[in-house]
Amino acid sequence: MALSLTIKEEKKLSRPDIFFSLARVPGTHQVYCGSSDGAVYFTDLQAEKPEPVVLDGGAVRHRPGGYVTGLALAADQSRLVSGAYDRQLIWWDAASRKPVHAVANAHAKWIRKVVASPDGKLIASVADDMVCRLWDGYSGALLAELRGHEAETPHHYPSMLFTCAFSADGSRLATADKTGRLVVWDVPSQQAIATLDASCMYTWDPKQRRHSIGGVRSLAFSPDGRMLAAGGIGQIGNIDHLGANARFRLFDWEKGETLAEIESPEFKGLVERLAFHPQGQWLLGCGGDHGGFAIVIDPATRKIAYEGKAPFHVHDFALTESSDRIIVAGHNGLAVKQVAAA
Amino acid sequence: MSESSFFCGTPAHDISRRAFLSQSLAIGSGALLGTTGAIHALDEDAVNAALKKAGRSVILLWLAGGSSQLETWDPKPGRPTGGPFDAIPTSVPGVHISELMPKMAKRMHRTAIIRSLNTRDGGHGTGAEMMLRGRKNEAALQYPDLGAIVAKELGRADSRVPGYVSFYSQTEGRGSGKLSPAFLGARYAPMNLDDSTMPPNLSRLEAISDLDHRDRARLRDLLSARFASGRETETMRSHASAYARVHGLMSSEPLFDIEQEPQWIRDQYGPSLFGQQALMARRMVEAGVSFVRVSRAWWDSHGQNFETHAEMVPELDHVMATLMDDLDQRGLLETTLVVAYGEFGRTPSVNASLGRDHFADAWSAALYGCGIQGGAVWGKTDEDGRKVVEGEVGAGELFATILAAVGIDPNREYHVGVRPVPLVNPGILPIRSLLA
Repeated sequence: MALSLTIKEEKKLSRPDIFFSLARVPGTHQVYCGSSDGAVYFTDLQAEKPEPVVLDGGAVRHRPGGYVTGLALAADQSRLVSGAYDRQLIWWDAASRKPVHAVANAHAKWIRKVVASPDGKLIASVADDMVCRLWDGYSGALLAELRGHEAETPHHYPSMLFTCAFSADGSRLATADKTGRLVVWDVPSQQAIATLDASCMYTWDPKQRRHSIGGVRSLAFSPDGRMLAAGGIGQIGNIDHLGANARFRLFDWEKGETLAEIESPEFKGLVERLAFHPQGQWLLGCGGDHGGFAIVIDPATRKIAYEGKAPFHVHDFALTESSDRIIVAGHNGLAVKQVAAA
Repeated sequence: MSESSFFCGTPAHDISRRAFLSQSLAIGSGALLGTTGAIHALDEDAVNAALKKAGRSVILLWLAGGSSQLETWDPKPGRPTGGPFDAIPTSVPGVHISELMPKMAKRMHRTAIIRSLNTRDGGHGTGAEMMLRGRKNEAALQYPDLGAIVAKELGRADSRVPGYVSFYSQTEGRGSGKLSPAFLGARYAPMNLDDSTMPPNLSRLEAISDLDHRDRARLRDLLSARFASGRETETMRSHASAYARVHGLMSSEPLFDIEQEPQWIRDQYGPSLFGQQALMARRMVEAGVSFVRVSRAWWDSHGQNFETHAEMVPELDHVMATLMDDLDQRGLLETTLVVAYGEFGRTPSVNASLGRDHFADAWSAALYGCGIQGGAVWGKTDEDGRKVVEGEVGAGELFATILAAVGIDPNREYHVGVRPVPLVNPGILPIRSLLA
């Protein structure tokens, strides 16, 4: 039976800033959001009048303008780790919401993503220095460096390492860059065990405008770890804009095979975040261009089961345990959306 | 239509003056001082001005599509409009520029910045037309572009190289603000090198031997001289000049061959097309070309502004710094003005695609080299970069400053018929504090 569902908006908060990252406290509608102003905000979305509150009263924050692009809860939810364009990682005590540890130059360039392993013991960060670093989720000690991405694009411009994702059992970590190169790492041995190609998401314009755009912006392993999904944007004709349709590529990463190439017929822009339903029933991708979208793919048929507008360009989202709610964060807003059978 | 010269308004006088100056300069200033009869025939101030201009040239780094002032010369770190890049200190105390420009930051004491351009036109075509002419065309009068004016004012009549060369390799925006000598005539039109760094049809046909080629030229000269005898007209001079320039161009074929540069110098400019064309520009001003436009398109970052600028600004930084050093080491920096700007800047507000849109209300340009006061910063925008709060200037003031820096009087007038046409609109002044 074909998957049929719909997504409706339940609550929305408008913001003057941009929320680039989001971490949800398990079992609640409480979220942390990383802002374009360099601060991390806590919001209880079940409150009558939800109001984002800046952590530590703003006394400690990332550099103003250092977009906070990575947030993850680790170490049995006792630690919140934030990473930003200011190259810094900060470990916060989740109970007191005070900083307990900071690494000023965790990376040499902008930090693009911070994720926690499913057991919360590891934090992975990726940055435009093209290195993935593994950190102790609790103490913040540096444990390993994974280097498998070129510093430059084939056209001699700086590349960017946009995203990473752990598999559900924590044994695999995938990283992906601007040129569409994906690397799958064996976490215990820290060895690269597969490389994949999604260069269809990278546009280099050699003649009209002579620069590039795009890249793989999001990754997710299926719950069984066999399928790896990558999200981005298709080939762009006019790279002044995010002027191509949202694109997904599904891999059987162990075989190195592309299972499906899926392009939204309706929505343009970047797929900024991907997540599978906990039982693998669907794959959700959110993102946008000037507007936002939510697209659901049926992994069985490898076809789009639903696509609809999001209230804004979505940079990150979180699913509730029952997957009946999606909390989305993005350009000038934060929202709760309800997922229901159509 | 006719035009006046700087001296008495006759093209003949203009040419003889240039010939006199070029001959005098060729044999040194001592000889010049001895030719008092010639000096008496000319205005002394004019001679001084002409001497001052000798050998000067301009390289325009045309940032087509509109680069962001916030990610280059006027950063606003920490402000809601500032974007994610930090600002860094420069070699001029108190002056900060984007962290994307560390090389130019070290050279800021030799660079001037204008941070207060309000040009009021956010259209690619109309903005480019204005920024390349210093004003908008009129319905009944098209103005010559900057390169045409500089080529006319600084070029030598007997030059064997083109006076004005324009590189524009990317196709987007190539037609915007179309270059034109307007009433100055085709003599000052650019040689457009859009698809190749080598002008087409420059080489002698293989079927014609070098001896045959020279014999043909001699025969043509003989016939031309015989025909011209007793027919001293502008048309005749133009005819002869055109052939001389073609011969000059053919003999200067190596000028367009970048392979003639040592590999280590090419490496210094880097592998980018922009870098290689900047090196070509240096070769050209070294050979006597008066104006070279090197276009770097396309900065129109409506989406993903920060990633676009993360790619393009370091390249601009590298090219500007390398060009400065190279000109300096060759003793050309004092006679070559380098200017970098486009048709407008970009909005302080960041849109939902993380882009910045067109913005002409408060943006920046940079200048270094000939006639420029290094380390000078003109004008100021508000804390969010939304408007100019000090020293507002427009395209005319920028244009006048460029002309004045290379010794061209912005107030001089051409004549189109009987209508006097000043180089800049009446009342427009150069920014004196940027001039050395």
